[in-house]
Amino acid sequence: MSELRYDGRVAIVTGAGNGLGRSHALLLASRGCKVVVNDLGGAHTGGGKSSEAADRVVSEIKAAGGEAVANYDSVEDGVAIVKSATDAFGRLDIVINNAGILRDTSFQKMSEQDWDLIYRVHVLGAYRVTAAAWNLMRDQGYGRLIFTASAAGIYGNFGQANYAMAKLGLVGFANTLAIEGKKKNVLVNTIAPIAGSRMTETVLPKELLDALEPGYVSPLVAFLAHESCEETGSLFEVGGGVMNKLRWERTVGKSFPVGRPIAIEQVKSSFAKITDFSKSTHPTTIQDSLTAVLDNVQKPSKGGNEFIDVDQALGFEFPKVRSSYDSRDVALYALGVGAGRDPMDASELAQVYEAASEGMRPLPTMTAAIAVGQIMKAAMEGVQAPGMNYGLDRILHGEQYTKVIRPLPPEAKLEHRAKIKDIWDKGKGAVVVTEIKTYDDSGSLLAINEVNTFVRGAGGWGGERGPNTDIAIPERAPDFVVEEKTDEGQALLYRLSGDINPLHADPGFAAAFGFNRPILHGLCTFGFAARHVVKAAANNDPRLLSSIRARFADPVIPGETLVTEGWRRDDGSVVFRCKAKERDKVVLTNAVAELHKEVPKASVAPSESKPATSPGASKSTEGMRPTEAVFSAMGEFLAENPAIAKGVGKVYLFKITGPDSVWTVDLKNGAGSVSAGVKGAADCTLELTDTDWMAMASGAADPMKLYLSKQLKISGDLMASQKLDFLKKIDPEKVKAKLGDGNPATSPGATQSAPESPAGDVFIGIADWIAKNPEAIGRVGKKFLFVLTDPSASFVIDVKNAPGSAGPGAASDADCTLTLATEDFMAMTSGKADPQQLYFGKKLAITGDLMASQKLSFLKKIDPEQARAAVARAKGGAVTESAKGPSKSAQVRAAIAAKITAHPGWSAELGGAVTFALSDGDKSVFTVDDKGVSEGRAEHAKTTVTLGEDALWALAKDAKSAALYQHGELRVDGLVGPAHKLSLLNGLLA
Amino acid sequence: MARRVNVIGVGMTKFAKPGASDDYHVMASQAARAALADAGVDYRDIEQAYVGYVYGDSTCGQRAVYEVGLTGIPVFNVNNNCSTGSTALFLARQAIEGGLAECVLVVGFEKMEKGALGLKYTDRVNPLEQHVDVMNKAQGVNGAPFAAQMFGGAGREYRWRHGTRRETFAKISEKARKHAANNPYALFNTQLSVEEILASDEVFDPLTRYQCCPPTCGGAAAVLCSEEFAKRKGITNAVYIAAQSMTTDYASSFNEDSMIKMVGYDMSAQAAKQVYEKSGLGPSDVQVVELHDCFTANELLTYEALGLCKEGEAEKFIWDGDNTYGGRFVTNPSGGLLSKGHPLGATGLAQCTELVWQLRGTADKRQVAGARVALQHNLGLGGACVVTMYRRD
Repeated sequence: MSELRYDGRVAIVTGAGNGLGRSHALLLASRGCKVVVNDLGGAHTGGGKSSEAADRVVSEIKAAGGEAVANYDSVEDGVAIVKSATDAFGRLDIVINNAGILRDTSFQKMSEQDWDLIYRVHVLGAYRVTAAAWNLMRDQGYGRLIFTASAAGIYGNFGQANYAMAKLGLVGFANTLAIEGKKKNVLVNTIAPIAGSRMTETVLPKELLDALEPGYVSPLVAFLAHESCEETGSLFEVGGGVMNKLRWERTVGKSFPVGRPIAIEQVKSSFAKITDFSKSTHPTTIQDSLTAVLDNVQKPSKGGNEFIDVDQALGFEFPKVRSSYDSRDVALYALGVGAGRDPMDASELAQVYEAASEGMRPLPTMTAAIAVGQIMKAAMEGVQAPGMNYGLDRILHGEQYTKVIRPLPPEAKLEHRAKIKDIWDKGKGAVVVTEIKTYDDSGSLLAINEVNTFVRGAGGWGGERGPNTDIAIPERAPDFVVEEKTDEGQALLYRLSGDINPLHADPGFAAAFGFNRPILHGLCTFGFAARHVVKAAANNDPRLLSSIRARFADPVIPGETLVTEGWRRDDGSVVFRCKAKERDKVVLTNAVAELHKEVPKASVAPSESKPATSPGASKSTEGMRPTEAVFSAMGEFLAENPAIAKGVGKVYLFKITGPDSVWTVDLKNGAGSVSAGVKGAADCTLELTDTDWMAMASGAADPMKLYLSKQLKISGDLMASQKLDFLKKIDPEKVKAKLGDGNPATSPGATQSAPESPAGDVFIGIADWIAKNPEAIGRVGKKFLFVLTDPSASFVIDVKNAPGSAGPGAASDADCTLTLATEDFMAMTSGKADPQQLYFGKKLAITGDLMASQKLSFLKKIDPEQARAAVARAKGGAVTESAKGPSKSAQVRAAIAAKITAHPGWSAELGGAVTFALSDGDKSVFTVDDKGVSEGRAEHAKTTVTLGEDALWALAKDAKSAALYQHGELRVDGLVGPAHKLSLLNGLLA
Repeated sequence: MARRVNVIGVGMTKFAKPGASDDYHVMASQAARAALADAGVDYRDIEQAYVGYVYGDSTCGQRAVYEVGLTGIPVFNVNNNCSTGSTALFLARQAIEGGLAECVLVVGFEKMEKGALGLKYTDRVNPLEQHVDVMNKAQGVNGAPFAAQMFGGAGREYRWRHGTRRETFAKISEKARKHAANNPYALFNTQLSVEEILASDEVFDPLTRYQCCPPTCGGAAAVLCSEEFAKRKGITNAVYIAAQSMTTDYASSFNEDSMIKMVGYDMSAQAAKQVYEKSGLGPSDVQVVELHDCFTANELLTYEALGLCKEGEAEKFIWDGDNTYGGRFVTNPSGGLLSKGHPLGATGLAQCTELVWQLRGTADKRQVAGARVALQHNLGLGGACVVTMYRRD
């Protein structure tokens, strides 16, 4: 390394007559720097004045062939000191604020003079010298300032209250100067030195003092003062041969939802979390400091009280539970709600008899009994949503909603997924809506139940009341009336379907709740009423019942006669209510049932499940969705290659989501076959999204990689999934042919033609910039939707998904939506307006991820010249392929190099040089050592890691080297140790 | 007081590669006859037979011993994955030690297919499902043979932890080949250099092809008897079982997300500990060891599990030559699974055969000088581990 020189530079070192200051001055002068040696010549406690100390140092410098002048002013006369420099040497480049004194005494003995004197020398003195130098440095576009703080200031030290105050004050002072000076290349750093000097010889033992000679401090100071050093705003501890950088560490802490008062008790109970450093961040800027607050205000409290904490409870997902039923359970339930009273009624018989001629037809409301039973079971096992602090004595089953997606099979294996869907504040009480989704064993949704639980006395936190579910009864005579007497023992029969609450069986227990006798289950009444509606309005065919909702108004006593009155509505639904005839009491109100016009198909045929997007889109693919086309191509491929099935010998079930479909690929029986839906028992079930499936089938994504990234879930025989390689053998051309022209493939990165909006040109420039700066995708990692007004237009900037894009359009998956006037947008992108100013001036509305909007600063980096050129190209109609950006490995490599330049010694933490050999992509080989990155292998690199671009990329983001290694994605040859430290690369790419 | 159990006869066939062997009943009966002849016992003296194999339909055991005799004795078919042979041995030892029999025959055989181990039944829960889950969590699953992924993964984990060189793993195979060169019963008799081993195809980093045991066909057998029976037959100073222990998986196999633990490190360590406790002897009393080197990685791990060296010191142990002639122990003088071959059901009894020969001093060129105490380690995923200590006074 060539010698670092300071030729032509001029430095002021204050307090340079002795100790650290003298050492700094001598070192700088020995490397060609012209030095103003400032020293008042006083005692280290501040008294006296003499020119001797400064003169001595100047002669030392001159004797060694250097240039220096002495200055004897107090630092409080900063202007005079700066003037010495400009008078003697004509410029000023470096200021080392080093002068200091001590007035140590414990605080109770400290006089105001002690306090004030320390302040004046350290803080006011540093201010005066700096202020005199500041504009001079800004104007010349160059300056290096070093402040001298102390461990006493950082950590506190007995007897140094005044000194500690002054020293930490300098840190804050320097940090702000660093921000303000950065643009003008005026860089500011602070050191907290420990050295034997006149100031410390009174407190430290001699042996230690010897080791702490100033010569160990000055090299860092000199480096920070050198033009090649770009560090600014940093704090270092230095001395005794050790140099360290300090930074702040902040606990993740505790975030309380805003909009609710925070009780002191909450602070106490959260204090361990507030002070827990096991998870922490290292904020370096005031923006970093604000992130936690910004994040927190994004999610204001939804309220709550001592009974219900909405923030905690809402959205809680209960553990999944499984159950099954068979035809016996179906019959038992139907009998429990009164079916089969007339065994000669064939339509009713189908509800209770598994061998009925038209097949068994379970009542949809059975899913309510099953799902609610599962939830009750879970509750009895102690599974409770967090934030629900009320006893069972407060709750009432208020409303029930049941929807079946398709007719229930006579037997099924089920999985129930329940969550707290809504919590409403009804004033005195609260309503908790628990949604239970029930899936069959092919994973497709079978039924949705919503249980509205009324919690007495738990409302009143000022939350939302929720929708009004009142349903008006038409003012006319009912269109139908069904009357049916329940059995005296009805509840005893119904309870066998799962709800074994003794309230419905045990007279003593019922009496304790104030009932003369056990009452009927609410859901039993619900089932009766559903049957009545089915009977009167749907030919007694339960398959026609799509959904049913009712509010429980009053309990029913077994033996009472239920009268269900119904009113058909124009949309085919039926409004109904149910009364207990003997008491003339309404027992079910606000009730409505939706009916199908014809019986829906029993099982999900994938071709039926419509894509989530506009249904019209299917026209262009001639009725065949891409997924279907791929499976169809797979079927043809297998037919042409019977040997494939022989070699695999497994049956796979593919569960594709979004849009959902289920496929069985049988590579076991015969020549193999592909069919929609579940066919026979599968060895291995694979779940993935439609998009990932298409990527996998087209060879763009590797099944193993999808699996490792958890995008592909495999259950059953895991080893069978190994044999999926046969997919690679499918001719992609065939798949493409199947897809035809209708494949709505998007071509990201493509710049679309300029729209009417004047902002369009700007986006062409942005698109051009993104294409040339692919690393921005890693750094920004967000997708923005701009909604412009006057004239209105909408644009998307995708700096999240490689290769990125910018252009007109809309996006539902944008991280952040920005709404502003076109004029303001133009001002913002031309640098005339700042996004933050627009935001605070309410000219820019941001929804979604507020933090994402902070990343918009990349817009400022766009070179207007290049943007104009891009627009010209686009308008000229010339189709130019956007310049291909550097490869992933090159980007990581560049990031490593940049990191080492910015933080020399960073890579030394690897504990040895490491050669990176890329196994794919550009197959590049480079070596990282403590000095930097070099091409190829190196003799001194005892560790070689071989890895793919994706693994290297992942390492530079957040992947741990141990995991990559154990997964076989990172191969280590030679010394293993340094590979352990490779997680050091984490975070290089944000 | 438990009765002493003697191993009075052993025998085995020359191990062969799949397709080049006799059928199973021939291999098994040949081994059984050899063991009976070695013991000088007539088949009519045998009261029970324990027959181990992994691949085959039910009652292959009977079909095999019917070749030797039809005396109507109880025949037990034993299946316990790679530790099948020593599991049969364990049952036979129990029968004699507990006074339930005086003289029993133990046979193990395997007729294997070409290629890596796989599942035969895919319409039911994979018995190794929990093991696969651990692996899946730790390192995912790829297309390599699953046993290589499991033991290789354990080797990977060890290497990460201790920075072990690739050559160290290869050196185990080099030693195995060197030992096997002197064993006429072994599948491989040619030696390989560390370079050749490392240069063979990679199966699963850090394992190369020559670091994986081959699919093998073969049979091996032993005759066990009580002290009274031996006396009656005029057999003196027989090799006897000083202690034997069998373990299956502990919770650590599944809840530590560790490949090393998943492949049964704790099963081995605990079984060895129990054997040392029961026998009152320690590793330092042992001269010769046959251990389960299905892959080089597992031999390395097993050194530490059996206490032959301290944890983390296997690399030094290997380079110091403490696993071969002239060192502290001779491990796998027979060539081990790596070079002698690994017919699953026969392996446990082939290990026993080698050690009995060693203790009798009849191991020819392979003889370990002054062998008085021998240790056998046989491990199966799924899992079971049997550790047996043999002595001759």
